[in-house]
Parts: sequence; C-alpha cells; structure tokens
Amino acid sequence: MTKQIICALILSGLTDAVINVSDSIFHLANSLVGRFWIVDNLIALPVDNEFIKAALLGSCFLAVWFGQKTEEETRRVRKILLATLIACVFVIATTKTLSKTVFLPRPFIQSKLVYHLTDDQLVENHRLSYRVPLDKSSQDSYRDLLNGEIAKNDLGSFPSDHAGFFVTVAAGIWLASRGVGLIALAWTFFVILLGRVMTGMHSPLDIIAGAAIGIMVLALVQFVARKWFGGWLDRVVNWSLQHTAMTSALLFAVLFEVSNTLVHLPPLAKFGIATVKHLLGKGN
Amino acid sequence: MRILITISLLLGLLCLTACGLGKEGMIVLVEDGWKANIYATNKDGFGAPDGILWRQGKFYFADEGSGAIESWCSPDGLKTLCNTSLGIMSPEDLVMDHQGNIFFTDDDAGGVWEIDATGKAFLLAGKEQGLVSTEGIALAPSGNIIIGDGEKHLIYSVSRSGVVSTLLTGIKKPESMVYDERGNLFIADNEENVLYMADPELKLYRLIEHKEGFSPETIFYQQGTLYITNSQTGKLYRYTPQDGLHTIAVFGGRLGNVQGITADDQGNLYLSVQSDLQHKVGYIIKLEKEIRS
Repeated sequence: MTKQIICALILSGLTDAVINVSDSIFHLANSLVGRFWIVDNLIALPVDNEFIKAALLGSCFLAVWFGQKTEEETRRVRKILLATLIACVFVIATTKTLSKTVFLPRPFIQSKLVYHLTDDQLVENHRLSYRVPLDKSSQDSYRDLLNGEIAKNDLGSFPSDHAGFFVTVAAGIWLASRGVGLIALAWTFFVILLGRVMTGMHSPLDIIAGAAIGIMVLALVQFVARKWFGGWLDRVVNWSLQHTAMTSALLFAVLFEVSNTLVHLPPLAKFGIATVKHLLGKGN
Repeated sequence: MRILITISLLLGLLCLTACGLGKEGMIVLVEDGWKANIYATNKDGFGAPDGILWRQGKFYFADEGSGAIESWCSPDGLKTLCNTSLGIMSPEDLVMDHQGNIFFTDDDAGGVWEIDATGKAFLLAGKEQGLVSTEGIALAPSGNIIIGDGEKHLIYSVSRSGVVSTLLTGIKKPESMVYDERGNLFIADNEENVLYMADPELKLYRLIEHKEGFSPETIFYQQGTLYITNSQTGKLYRYTPQDGLHTIAVFGGRLGNVQGITADDQGNLYLSVQSDLQHKVGYIIKLEKEIRS
C-alpha cells in the first residue's frame, strides 16, 4: 500500500514536472506570435498548406529514391525507404489510438477552463495563457472556440500525429542518406512542427511524444524488415528497378497520400467495407 | 547505441507522463463564470439516470440504467420510488407538479406513469391510448401532462384522469419538452435535430435547424434561458431569443454522453451523464455559477 502511494506520488510529480517544462516552452514559443501579421502568416503557412508542409519532404524522398549512383546503393536506400513507408502506417495508427485514450486538449483549448476526470473526481487543468496568431486560420479557430465549436480531435492532441508521421518520414530519409535526411529533419522540426507549437495546435510534450513514437516504430520496423522480410523487400526493389515508369507512378500516389498524413485511407477503407456489405446484401 | 538508450529513456519518461494524464474524460468550460465538479456517481446507489429533476434540495432520477424512479439527497441517500416490478422498463424523463405528484415517460414500456404525493405509483395512460414510445414530458399551464411519442411522431395532452388527446403533429422525435412562463412550449427533436417552439395558440416555429452538430437531447428552462444538452457531440448550450445559441461546456470521453439537466434555486446546473448504460455507470455533474465580488 505504502509502495503504491509512493509510486503514485512520484508519477504525479513527474507528470507535473514534465507538463510544467512543456508549458514553459510553449509560452516562450507562443509569445512570439500575435505581433506581426506577416510573421504569423508565414508561421501558419505549413500548418494549413499541404504543399508547404510536405512537398519538400516528398522531394527529398524522391531525390534519395532515384539519386543513387550505383545499383547496390539504390537497392540499399530503397529497402530503407520502403520500410519507412510501412512504418508510417503503424505510427499513425499508434498516435491516433493514443490520442483517443489520453485527453489532453490542444494548448489553445487549454486557454479555457478544462477539467479532466480522474478516479471519479474532476481535476482542474493548469490554464494556459494564449496569444492568438494574426493569421486567418488561427483567428477562425479561436473564434470557433469562443463559440463552443470544438472539433473532437482538438480534445486529444497527445501525441502529435504530425510529429510522429513526418519525423518518421524524415528520419527514414536520414537513414538512407545523411545529407538529404538532415534537410528533411530540419524542415520537419523547424518549419512543420515549430509552427504547430507557436500557433497553439500542439504543446512541446505532444511533439516530443509523437516524434519519439515515430523514431521508435521506425527503428522497430527497419529491424523487423531487415531480419525477417529482407527477401520480400528485395523482390519489390527488383520490380521497381525493372519497372521505373510504373514505380514512379505508384510513388506519386503514395507520396501524395503521405503528404496528407494518410487522411484519405480510412474513408476509402470504410467505402470498401460498405461496398462489400452492399454486395453481400448486408448493408444499404 | 547511445541514441537508442536516449530514445528508450525518453519513451519511458513519456509513458510515465502519459500515465499521469487524463485518460477517462474531460470538460472544457467554454463560457467563463462556471466551475464544474462531480456531484454524485453511481457509487451513491443509482445506475445511469436520463431525466433528472431538482426540487427543494432533493433530486429525482428517471434512472434508465436501473429501470427505476429514484429520489436522492446527500444526507438521506437513495430511495427507490418505483421500479420494474411496476411494469416500467426504461424511464426517460420526469416532471413534478406543485402538489408533489411525479409524472414520467418510458420509451420502452410506453405510457405516462404517475407517483402521487403519497408514494402510490400507477400507469396513468398506456399503449392502449396510443402512448407507444414516450419520450419528452412537460407540465402544461392547464395542469395537463404533455407527452411526446417517438414512434407515433405526435405530441399528446393527457388529463389528470388519463384522457389522451393529440396536441401537435409532425414532430419526428419529441425527445424533451418544457414550457416557459409565457406558455410557449419548447420541443427538442433529436432525430431531425430541430428546436421547435409552439406558442400558446399552438403555432409551431423552428428556432434552430440545419445547424451542424446540433442535436438537442434535453431542454430545461429557467429565468428566460433555455438550457440544452447534446449527447451526440457532448455539449451544453444556453439559448435566448436575443442572444441565440451559445455553448457553455464541451464534454468528452466518459463524460461525453450528457443527458438530463436541471437547476437549483441558485441557478447551479446539474447534468446527468450516462457513461455506460449497460453497466449502470453514470455521473451527476454540477456546474456552479461563480460568485464574482
């Protein structure tokens, strides 16, 4: 019993300490917005604009995929990149599942009074001060909040699926090619993710958690792919070397979806299931 | 290797942190001037109430989870006023008149039921009189009981002697109803997602419709304001003709299924939340008005 109490106290203290550090970093980052219209719009651009967010990462991916001088090197990087794409699916599944079980709202929501339910008690969250960026999207989101229009995914921002997803892609590119990978990682952290912290979409804790999940899953998938599925990857790579045009077309489709963090896949899957049910006479 | 150890430590730290984060449910108070707390839980003896009513320091529950009508107050505890042995199945909503008679609906058993001031419970009017799946209930200024039927899509007026007549037609699912002091009847339709108002001449107005995410579950009127719960999106609104619809709070997770609403004399709101109807897990949440100096 005493051990349980001590563990609970340590856990509570640790959680508070980590959240306090995260909140301090958030305040520092968020204090830079809400001053200059042009700065805020530049910061918000990769938050809303898929092209700015993902085009450079897609370009890096293709540069590494096609840009190797020897066939041996091409085979090596393609296997890494294929495993990276597989890892992305697991990462998004992990972050989405976690964000539905842990209720930590986006920082801009936490500018309001928030309670969380713990052991049949409502515990008041630490209320964050929030500077509203001057870009239209942030202004609209904050106006929606004041009107009570809160999207469901705004209530579960831990961990950041953007962080998990784009860190996985960038780290995968880095594993394949250090130079291009560094550009991809720098873009991910300083353009895609920093903007999300500054505009109040995510706390640093959300970002670090997402990134850590991404790296961990990527490392695991790379290991498993090499250890047990090397033969499969070799066959896919061989096929890609023999069918360059078809590979380019498929890569375009895959990277298009990757740039959208796989948001179109769940509706497509639902449509597929509904179609099967319909054809079997079990649905509409 | 060092990178892997660092990542593992980081992950361990994050896992521990995540363990300390809220995993059960949450409330976001969008409107300032309120404080929230858990007023009662199913550990106090009730199941998962749907309709709730506060009267003179005591709560009355249409306990859908337990299939019972109950009264509850903090020192006295829970008292079952009637249960399934009477023939009721899923009590839905309830009202009380000035004499202390309770009237309630039941969407499975149908009918309108009464527990009179002496505690005697009986069926006032049943399925034979057309009350098939009764949902919303309100007390008319005339003293009649107004009942909404979700299957017949009708609103009935039931006299104290149990005579049933049709009051309004064409409302898909009259889930909840309430009168204001001017005799206007507000009707929440949570199938077509419309808030109606019928004036004393029974002319019907659509006050709110085609609003994304709006699905009125229970409505409660106090001092010029209509309070509305929305179980689909976990919201509590207030509505006045002058200001329109405003969100007071958003509920998530285990607290997302907000159902009934009532208020005490101080204007504090009480909401019933059905976290798990099958396993009889429910909460009564109090939203307290902050007193400003």
